[in-house]
Amino acid sequence: MNAIILSALCGVVMMFSGILLKNKSAIKYVAIAALLVLIIGNLFQFYGIYTIDIDSKGLLSFDRTGLFFNTIIFVATLAYFILSGSDIERAGPDVAEYFALIFFVLCGVTILTSFNGLLMFFIGIEILSIPLYILTGSDKKNLKSNEASLKYFLMGSFSTGILLMGITLIYGATGSFGLQSTTIKSAVTGFSSAGILAPVGLVLLFISMCFKVSAAPFHFWAPDVYDGAPSVFTSFMATIVKAAGFFAFIKLFAAKSEDFGPGPAWKLILFVIIVATLFIGNITAVFQQSVKRMLAYSSIAQAGFMLFALYSTNDFTKDGILLYTAAYSFATIGIFSILTKMEDYSLDGFNGLSKSQPVLAFTNTVFFLSLSGIPLTAGFFAKYYMLASAIKGGGSLSLVIIAVLFAAVSVYYYFKVIQAMYFKEGVAATNTPITGNFKVALIVLAAIIVILGIYPTALLGFYYF
Amino acid sequence: MTWLTLLLDVQDTSAASYLPIAIQLIFAAGFVAAMIGMSALVGPKRQTKDKLETFTSGITTHGDARQPMAIKYFLVAILFVLFDVEVIFFYPYAVNFRSLGWAGFVEVLMFVGFFLIGFTYIIKKGALTWED
Repeated sequence: MNAIILSALCGVVMMFSGILLKNKSAIKYVAIAALLVLIIGNLFQFYGIYTIDIDSKGLLSFDRTGLFFNTIIFVATLAYFILSGSDIERAGPDVAEYFALIFFVLCGVTILTSFNGLLMFFIGIEILSIPLYILTGSDKKNLKSNEASLKYFLMGSFSTGILLMGITLIYGATGSFGLQSTTIKSAVTGFSSAGILAPVGLVLLFISMCFKVSAAPFHFWAPDVYDGAPSVFTSFMATIVKAAGFFAFIKLFAAKSEDFGPGPAWKLILFVIIVATLFIGNITAVFQQSVKRMLAYSSIAQAGFMLFALYSTNDFTKDGILLYTAAYSFATIGIFSILTKMEDYSLDGFNGLSKSQPVLAFTNTVFFLSLSGIPLTAGFFAKYYMLASAIKGGGSLSLVIIAVLFAAVSVYYYFKVIQAMYFKEGVAATNTPITGNFKVALIVLAAIIVILGIYPTALLGFYYF
Repeated sequence: MTWLTLLLDVQDTSAASYLPIAIQLIFAAGFVAAMIGMSALVGPKRQTKDKLETFTSGITTHGDARQPMAIKYFLVAILFVLFDVEVIFFYPYAVNFRSLGWAGFVEVLMFVGFFLIGFTYIIKKGALTWED
């Protein structure tokens, strides 16, 4: 509850800081301070100290996993503010509003980690999505940004419609918005007594959530939106928002797994979606010339790996999704913060970066290694946990083999950037001078990724103790 | 008729219990189609130029409706909707004024407080300054 109230309040504070403070860079420090308050407030609740406690009449329930996920998300946002704060300032005239909208997105995230019914789930999804439509279109003079915003808005509202339809059918079948399964399975057929309505509703929910996390047959909006939006906000959308979407997806379907009816059909649907997501994400990313667009497809490919958490739910899954969120978010935030500093977003724009900016090139290499899942980086254990959970959960070995093959494909296009930075001649120009603070922040982030890669229990230790 | 009694009194929530709704949907669509079709087929048609013109509260129409309008109108319209909704929220409170007591009063004050924060924000951002 602390995090939900505080994040909304921080958003309001940010709105007014734009009016009260005339100095633009001061706004960034206000945002960082507000975020620190948010992190502390959330940690208070994580360790059982309820400073704000409102009876939500069973609509919200707080568990350690959700609160810990909140903490990861907030820390990732802190890294994002520190690294990309100055880019947010350059994104447009309404700096304070951008920070305010980001806080409102965080409010949506906190609801999505604590919902206890489809009603709050829906509200969380909407609070998460609506500020994003605005952030996507924040570059008002840029036609591509406008197009991306409108496209995102239309497609997003459409998928929200499908989500609502699914919720309606489930309500019709079970008579409650609750997460617990209220249907009684027939011993003979294996189908629940609610007949066809609840499964159809679940399928609609599933489709809509696949859309929100850009899983394969519903991914078409993602490359255009990620490419069209200002790069700073793409960074936020592709990491924090996507991870939160996954968390909600998994939380919802882990609770509803009783309603799935006979198991194999769902496993088959998930199998097809995971393979399609991995295939489309990885293969299309190979052919991209723009690094930004390549990262958009890579985020689809990473979504394929995160879907493993849905495929089988066991102890590994929970650890896996927490670790994957941290590994993927930190690495991608780092890459995007470097990308926004570059003059040219194409692969050739990175030529010779190791000569002109050795620190940027080195940290960028660490981030890309982590994304591709090379050992000694956080990405390795994140992928390991995901695949291990699929095998433990009575798994499909073929799915794991396919995933490993596509991880190998992803190495190809991630290493193209590393190759451009280290082995190609050129002058990689940055659009702003690189400050010392930025370099230090990058090194700290890279160090965190390496530490998580050597010692992943460092992160999970906080969760269990 | 046993099937109908069964239908109307089903307690379970299977798909079959939604059959009355489906029947009603078909009936509603059929009724509308039949009425419009009937009046089009049977009704008298004496069309004059005046009759076919768009009715605008008795005022003679002039010009095209598709004209660019100042964005301020939309702004005012949106703000109106906001404040309208605020007033609507007051009605249920006014009805339950006594039973809600002080707790309800504090909650309504909070609601108005949030609203005023938004209003101050709008004014400070200059959304209501009409002169450029």
